[in-house]
Amino acid sequence: MTDTTAVENDGAVLTHARAALWQAVCDRDEYAAGQAVFTALDAGAAVEDVLLDVVAGVQHKVGREWAADRFTVAQEHAATAIHDRVIAAMAHRAPPAPPREPAGTVTVACVDGEWHALPARLLAEVLRHRGHRVDFLGAQVPTPHLIAHLHRTAPDVVALSSSLPVRLPDAHSAITAVQALGIPVLVGGAAFGDDGRHARLLGADAWAPDARAAADLLARGLPRPVPGAIRQRVDDLPHLIDQEYSLVLRGKRQLVRDTLAGLEERLPAMRAYTEAQRERTAEDVAHIVDFLSCALYADDSRLFTGFLDWTGDILEARRVPARVLDPGLALLQDLLKDFPRSLDFLTRGRAVLAARTAPARVPEPGAPA
Amino acid sequence: MTSVEGSSRSARGLLSSVGASWMRAPYPALVVDALGSVVEINARAADLFPAAVPGTALAEVAPDWLVDGHRRAVRGGSGAVDTVRGRHGPWTLAAHATLGAGGEVVWWLVDETDRSLAEAALRTEQERTAFLADASSRLLASLNVERCMELAVELATAYLADAAVLVTPAAGKRHPLASCVGGAVVHRSVRLDPATVPGLAEALRGFPPVPSRWIDPAVLPEWAVPDGFAGPVGSVVVTPLPGHGVPAGALILLRRSDHAAFDASEEVFARVFAARAGAALSAARLYREQSGITAALMAELLPPSLRQVHGVEFAGGYRTSTDTERVGGDFYDVHPGAGPGDETLAVLGDVCGKGLEAAVLTGKIRSTLQALLPLADDHQHLLSLLNGALLSSRHTRFATLVLASVRRRSGATRLRLTSAGHPLPLIVRADGTVREAATSGTLIGALPEVRAHTAEVDLGPGETCLLFTDGVTEARGGPLGDAMFGDARLQAALAECAGMPAEAVVERIQMLVAAWIGDNRHDDIAVMAITTPRTTHLAAVDGRTPGRYTA
Amino acid sequence: MTTLPGDAFLLTSALDDDGDARIRITGDLDWDTADELTAAAETFLAADPPPRRLRLDCAGMTLCDSLGLAALLMIHRGAAGTGTRFHLDNRPAALQRLLDITGTAHLFTEP
Repeated sequence: MTDTTAVENDGAVLTHARAALWQAVCDRDEYAAGQAVFTALDAGAAVEDVLLDVVAGVQHKVGREWAADRFTVAQEHAATAIHDRVIAAMAHRAPPAPPREPAGTVTVACVDGEWHALPARLLAEVLRHRGHRVDFLGAQVPTPHLIAHLHRTAPDVVALSSSLPVRLPDAHSAITAVQALGIPVLVGGAAFGDDGRHARLLGADAWAPDARAAADLLARGLPRPVPGAIRQRVDDLPHLIDQEYSLVLRGKRQLVRDTLAGLEERLPAMRAYTEAQRERTAEDVAHIVDFLSCALYADDSRLFTGFLDWTGDILEARRVPARVLDPGLALLQDLLKDFPRSLDFLTRGRAVLAARTAPARVPEPGAPA
Repeated sequence: MTSVEGSSRSARGLLSSVGASWMRAPYPALVVDALGSVVEINARAADLFPAAVPGTALAEVAPDWLVDGHRRAVRGGSGAVDTVRGRHGPWTLAAHATLGAGGEVVWWLVDETDRSLAEAALRTEQERTAFLADASSRLLASLNVERCMELAVELATAYLADAAVLVTPAAGKRHPLASCVGGAVVHRSVRLDPATVPGLAEALRGFPPVPSRWIDPAVLPEWAVPDGFAGPVGSVVVTPLPGHGVPAGALILLRRSDHAAFDASEEVFARVFAARAGAALSAARLYREQSGITAALMAELLPPSLRQVHGVEFAGGYRTSTDTERVGGDFYDVHPGAGPGDETLAVLGDVCGKGLEAAVLTGKIRSTLQALLPLADDHQHLLSLLNGALLSSRHTRFATLVLASVRRRSGATRLRLTSAGHPLPLIVRADGTVREAATSGTLIGALPEVRAHTAEVDLGPGETCLLFTDGVTEARGGPLGDAMFGDARLQAALAECAGMPAEAVVERIQMLVAAWIGDNRHDDIAVMAITTPRTTHLAAVDGRTPGRYTA
Repeated sequence: MTTLPGDAFLLTSALDDDGDARIRITGDLDWDTADELTAAAETFLAADPPPRRLRLDCAGMTLCDSLGLAALLMIHRGAAGTGTRFHLDNRPAALQRLLDITGTAHLFTEP
């Protein structure tokens, strides 16, 4: 692999495979998708490179295409299904080497509420190929199920994946519950921030920006935390003492109702909405409240402003101006006037929307579809 | 008494100040002059310092700490030294100084031996209590048997012994062991005769209850001394690990010969530790047995993972109720046809009630249907037979289900669909229109007679038939928190699923319903998609041709 | 804020002048309450002579789940044994829909 020609050839093989897989996914042609990856493997590409540089690369592009409104939800799901089958077929064709002693056992799972299982699945496959024994629990693993599994199997490490920041509180419960068993937790995914700051905030034992880095970390092994040490949420997050997070969360239904009623009062056009349009609007407001409460949880305004910026991109890609979000934020400011942190985040959020000059940008995936 | 007074000479002034009765004082006392000579000594002090008679140097008869204290008291004058403490022979003494006008000092001695022993015991006791509290929380943190064994031997070597070996009752012919020396834990499985270690057989039987016992290190078999144990074994204790009604095992604690042997209080402490380890270990074993049974049951009850069968895609999704005692109502199965020309039978249903009773009924339905497979040509007949098998005079617990007999024809898939009292299957056309299948029928298992009407449907490429339970449509939530997901939302969601593979349809519906439910409670939710694929499949997934795909 | 239905379950039983037994149900008919309804119906059906008709007034029924339906089927079976006609009056739309889907509507004849 130190031979430059080999590296260049490898690069060419992977580039070609990526293009072929992309075309197959666009055509929803599972056969062609399989051919794309197997051709690369036959040409000598490493399984890990095909998983991460070809399959994950194309999946990433699918997310970007959806965000830019060039892919429908149906196409996105179909692409994921094709990738799942391709990964299964690869595992079947090139079974990983039997686990060698030093590579430990790893349980890979998505946080409760996390539906994007593909990144976790890719990590599971990479770890298998590197000689770990891996239990892959899939998407949406409720913490009690995860803990029951860990009591039964006692792995060396748990790898938790989450792409949605609104799932950070669930991720936090899962992390502390697993650590209380004396098992270290590695986390990854967009939810934990591009620099892993939310992973540190929630007390995870390790964070990795991608599957390769995660595998490298696990190759070195993680020290075990002291079992039985029970950590309360507020031990990690002292700002929760102001109860803003729990009050906003508990009052969510009423906040959404009141905001919706306020919007109808302020925007006469809304009164002519169909039931379905009203429901979409309610969902949008509910999303805003969800992201506000997760920003309160992590005490990080960037979670909220980042979400608004991202939503602005999504809306503009669909030819809806981002400023439609502003009246809802203004109403929430009125409703939450006794909550200083919420008010601060809402003010910053409105500023971000006001500062948008609406260029045609291609947003990154990672927020709810 | 007068003789005592008469015997005092140079310390007259002092004696007059403390009073003549000092010689009778219950505390030992001695008078030492500024130069360090003993001037007077009372009867009790004479017991403590038999060699001290008036005129001897204090340094010759008393311990250094007292000599040193005296020097400081003389040098510093009044108030310089109040009390000094130290050991003298078997005693721990406190010496209180009273300074006389001529530079002499009266030392009053108080025996603090018992108090200091008590304090040391208390410190030990506090350390032990803290250790036990810490050990308990660590031991109880994991319900995994191996982790629990590891922790028990680690903790034992951290505080009690140089090495520890935990022996658990035999699994088959071998006894699982965990041993620890120098922080390194090793798991082994050893064929051993418990009778070779005195007390071990009784400890492993758990009856009669046996105390822990010291044993002769010489009789210790090889397996009981962990590799890496440095030096000869000095002392050994075997302590039973009492479980909850069942013996959890025994702990063998070893100390090197250069270490003090176990004393009685340590042995009691080891027993208390063993009780905690035993409780944790038996909880872990109980959990392992329970979860093993549950896992076996669930494996029987949980729906199979589905794939392509004879050119048709099947995908299923199942999410159990959040209410644990209410799990077990929904089920689905796919029985592949013998050959490509044969019908595959898919079933999805919902059993009335929840928990174990529902699980039992589900199991009965699934196994009865398996037996009735040869009769699947006639859904009405099959349902009548199933109904007869389920009828009970004692209750009217029923099931509702949909039967789908599926066969791929050249371009399309032919389905025969029959609802037995179940929500109607939805057909998603390539253009996105969604229709209910025109079938109807009676629920199963409660009425003497059932009737049913079967619908025939053809699915073109990219078209799907969705079977689901009412957990989908009756899911409560939404942005306002309390609306039912309902038929209209399900149909609207399905309209977007035209042309998607079966797994993608299932994933889409599950995602939308999960997002709708949010953090609300919900029932079991089951969905199954039957889809005519748009393109050919990767055959490697079916496992027919390992490593390759076929057209 | 919102009180979930099912907090209050109430059965009112009465025998009218022409010998018809009547039960009025208020609240959810489900796991928690189905046995209570079955017992109330059995009390009527055990009378000698049994009532000619047993009418269940469902106007106040807020929910009927599968165990609720099982209870209705059990009462239907008992009523058939004593020659009593079992009616469900004032069926809410959700109940009617459940009876239609499960193919059991014909069992609980309208008066």
